[in-house]
Amino acid sequence: MPLYENMQSQLVSRLSLREPISATGDTPLREAILRMRKGKLGCTIVVDDDQRPIGMFTESMLTQLLTHTSAAVDDPLDKHMADRWPWVKLNDPIVDVLDAMQTKNVRFLCVVDQNGRLVGLTGQKSFMEFVADHFPDQVIVKWVVGQRHPGRGKGDD
Amino acid sequence: MLGTSNERPDDLRNDPLEKVLAEEMVAAIQHEPYVTVTAEATVAEAIEKLAGLHVACVLVEDGGKLVGVFTDRDVLDRVALEHEAMRDRPVSEVMTANPVCVHESDSAAAALSVMAVSGYRHVPVVDLDDKIVGIVSPQRVTAFLRKYFTDR
Repeated sequence: MPLYENMQSQLVSRLSLREPISATGDTPLREAILRMRKGKLGCTIVVDDDQRPIGMFTESMLTQLLTHTSAAVDDPLDKHMADRWPWVKLNDPIVDVLDAMQTKNVRFLCVVDQNGRLVGLTGQKSFMEFVADHFPDQVIVKWVVGQRHPGRGKGDD
Repeated sequence: MLGTSNERPDDLRNDPLEKVLAEEMVAAIQHEPYVTVTAEATVAEAIEKLAGLHVACVLVEDGGKLVGVFTDRDVLDRVALEHEAMRDRPVSEVMTANPVCVHESDSAAAALSVMAVSGYRHVPVVDLDDKIVGIVSPQRVTAFLRKYFTDR
């Protein structure tokens, strides 16, 4: 079954999901930045006491913020978070991730369980890995022989 | 993570997309527009470009040749908590030097390889003289794949 049909039939749970960085809204931005650095991840998901997402703060939002003030890093997350966040459920088809990335121009998608609780993170990188997984003859070979391609793990989510 | 060809189900072997990835060149993927700064530009100027143009990566050039990239991730990792001290420093001090790149004549699979295997999201595209000709992002690769899905 070709790739596109697989994306329609296979579930988000099949993707290599990332462990999300989550925090409550009163967490200082500075602390969130340190956790994102340590976790090599470009976003923090703001959650309520029941681990349900209520907001998102991304590194692109951080860049925007720094054009206005450096002092914002001492503010709480909920002052600067986006109160809309894209999400998919574990049992949604993978093609929904593709659709979200294209129509909403998003990089990260929260993955939630049937109760709306945050269970993972997916997005551009997971999708690229899924596509590459289907064409190892093309992709792995390029990686092995490509003189300009360093090994896995150099980049970040 | 990534399997070998022997592990693939037989029905994946005949996906026409494999031929597309092998035979289409990076040049077939949208790689313009792109944003550049010189290596002497300040960190503040580079951040203004990232934020003002709503891009995640600027290419750092010297005489048209690629010398580095400066991304949202560099802002997070090297600037955010040190912004006041860093804002007037040259971007060359905090950029990622000698980034992984592809040639415009490489196969589309090469760009996908850099993203999926090496883990870099933004892949500069250079010509045979290492002059910058563009940048490929996951969004652009996704659009490339999507076009193929739509065209079928």
